Amino acid sequence: MIYKRQRIRDPLHDLIEFPADYFHDAMWRVIQTSHFQRLRRIKQLGFTELVYPGATHSRFAHSLGVFHTARKLMDVVKRYLEKQSEWDATKAQHALAAALVHDLGHGPYSHAFEEVGKKLGLAMAKHEKVTEDLIRDSEVKEALAPLGSGFASDVANVIASPESARIYGAVVSSQFDADRLDYMQRDRLMTGTRHGAIDFEWLISNLEVGKVPMGSDEREVGEMETFVLGPKALHAAETYLLGLLQLYATVYFHKATRGAEKLFTELLARIVQMTLDGSAVRTGLGEDHPLVQFAQRPKDLTSTLALDDTVVAGALDMMSRSPDTTVSNLSTRLRDRKLFKCIDVRESLSRKLSAKGPSKPRATRKVKVAAPDAATLAGELLTSKMHWTDALNRTCDAVEKRILEFAEESNKEAPRVLLDKGERSIYKRIEESKGPLEQIMILPNAGSATPMDVATISQVVSAIAPFKFLRVYLDGSEEKAKLQIEGILDEEVQRCRL
Amino acid sequence: MPSLISKSNAEKAVGVVRDAGGEVVGKTRLQKMAYLLEITGLGAGFQFEYRHYGPYSEELADAIASAQFWDMASEDERVANWGGTYSVFKVASSDKSGEINPARKRLLSLAAAANPVSLELAATAAFLAHENWKDPWQETARRKPEKAEKYLEEAKLLYGKLRNVPTPDPLPKI
Repeated sequence: MIYKRQRIRDPLHDLIEFPADYFHDAMWRVIQTSHFQRLRRIKQLGFTELVYPGATHSRFAHSLGVFHTARKLMDVVKRYLEKQSEWDATKAQHALAAALVHDLGHGPYSHAFEEVGKKLGLAMAKHEKVTEDLIRDSEVKEALAPLGSGFASDVANVIASPESARIYGAVVSSQFDADRLDYMQRDRLMTGTRHGAIDFEWLISNLEVGKVPMGSDEREVGEMETFVLGPKALHAAETYLLGLLQLYATVYFHKATRGAEKLFTELLARIVQMTLDGSAVRTGLGEDHPLVQFAQRPKDLTSTLALDDTVVAGALDMMSRSPDTTVSNLSTRLRDRKLFKCIDVRESLSRKLSAKGPSKPRATRKVKVAAPDAATLAGELLTSKMHWTDALNRTCDAVEKRILEFAEESNKEAPRVLLDKGERSIYKRIEESKGPLEQIMILPNAGSATPMDVATISQVVSAIAPFKFLRVYLDGSEEKAKLQIEGILDEEVQRCRL
Repeated sequence: MPSLISKSNAEKAVGVVRDAGGEVVGKTRLQKMAYLLEITGLGAGFQFEYRHYGPYSEELADAIASAQFWDMASEDERVANWGGTYSVFKVASSDKSGEINPARKRLLSLAAAANPVSLELAATAAFLAHENWKDPWQETARRKPEKAEKYLEEAKLLYGKLRNVPTPDPLPKI
């Protein structure tokens, strides 16, 4: 069989090539499937374009970038395994194919749709499940069939459990996976932000495979291979971790983006509820509209896949004419970018507590002045900072409890007061046991075989505190509510100082 | 990230810790305990999916974080000898009286005393059985080769004991 070389221009990686061979031919076929083409209609960053107009890039472009990056990572794996005569090209292909299709199951506005699913308990709103179902049984499976009858199943297995693919799976899911290495660069490029730059080529050039201990809770199990950095990549690792946190603070958790997501969640929840109540006709959408169909059959794969960003965006105008005031209000707001007003509670409390706070630490230069006692003063400073952060956290909790009560009262008829809370540390959320697999591991010096958590040898990384936020979104007409919330903030700040 | 969650979910999560004796060592253990309760008809309605450590409920993870927010439980993070950390959850007070379902109590007691790796493997096999895998133990071993190599037999023994507990919905025969 004669295969054809294919090439794609990409704004981030320039040329993404698909050489003329049987594996890349199958990957090209996967790209031609309707499920992969659907990713053109799902934006990578959902509502972020309301803040950064350039961020209209799609999951389609991202997926191609992940595949391209995965091949670079796989070269690192290959170099390592070939030395031990353990290289398995088929396993590598399973992981590369998994990298290409890893996002197939995303719904409209990506993560915002998952929030809807979480609120309403919709299993098909979880993109991992939909992705796995699609690979196991759809035209994607057919496109992969020339690579072997069980190939699609093996790819789905890598998606379902990357650790089962051992070091090959680290290309798909690890602290240095292809997904993160692509999205950090692509999102930065497309938003136009100048934060979050990483030294990609240097990172890849210094990437190695190392063994790290693993366990479950208190029990050690053994060792597992994963990506580790060579000692010359220390500063690149610092930039990588700091950059990720900056992207979260300025892009992914931007208050306007999150505000739009909140409205979207409330809108879709309302549509689903009205449909289940037999009032679909009042949503402004026809009975056969994909949103109504999905609300009627949320467990159905076809109904789920009929949704994308264009379907929702196109429905906003129809919904804006709904006789239901909640539906018309929320959809009009999203269509015209008339978002709820945001009160950044944590930021505001931080300012208020700093203003006359008795224990807010002063500038670090004081430590330098008192050089003879620097260690003691540094310890005091740290303790003082911890006390202050603790006071801020406790005040945030107290305010949140009161706002939750207030919101419950205010939202009886329609969503008017929406609370949003989140945090991101330099590492992914720790689901269960926290260990080296969840950390950026680096070899402390040349010849060392024992990688260490970069935070233990980098003062920069160890000093990076998690980014946290607590925000309230209010309907602009709720001036009284705004005053009440500001009153709550002032009262709790006073209480904290007593 | 901990999301905004109702007090009622926090109470359900605390219920698992309380019925396990007021203390649970490890997030993995807590997750697998709650999962076993769910599939045996003794749970509180948490939804589970497959993740790195087997059956996992984000809802439960949020709920136990929320329980700390509402001062119903505490989480103490400790360093394990393998270099990782693990959590110890404790209920804030044990004043809530009431009879605990004996089957629920027995399941939790077995899970509390088990090696967490064996518990993880046993819960994973049960999850895969529910997902209709032909040979859940074999698939468990494929997904968790390092853990299965050392602990699969122990996990099977544990599973047998768990299955002997008379629950409303019996654990699948695997």
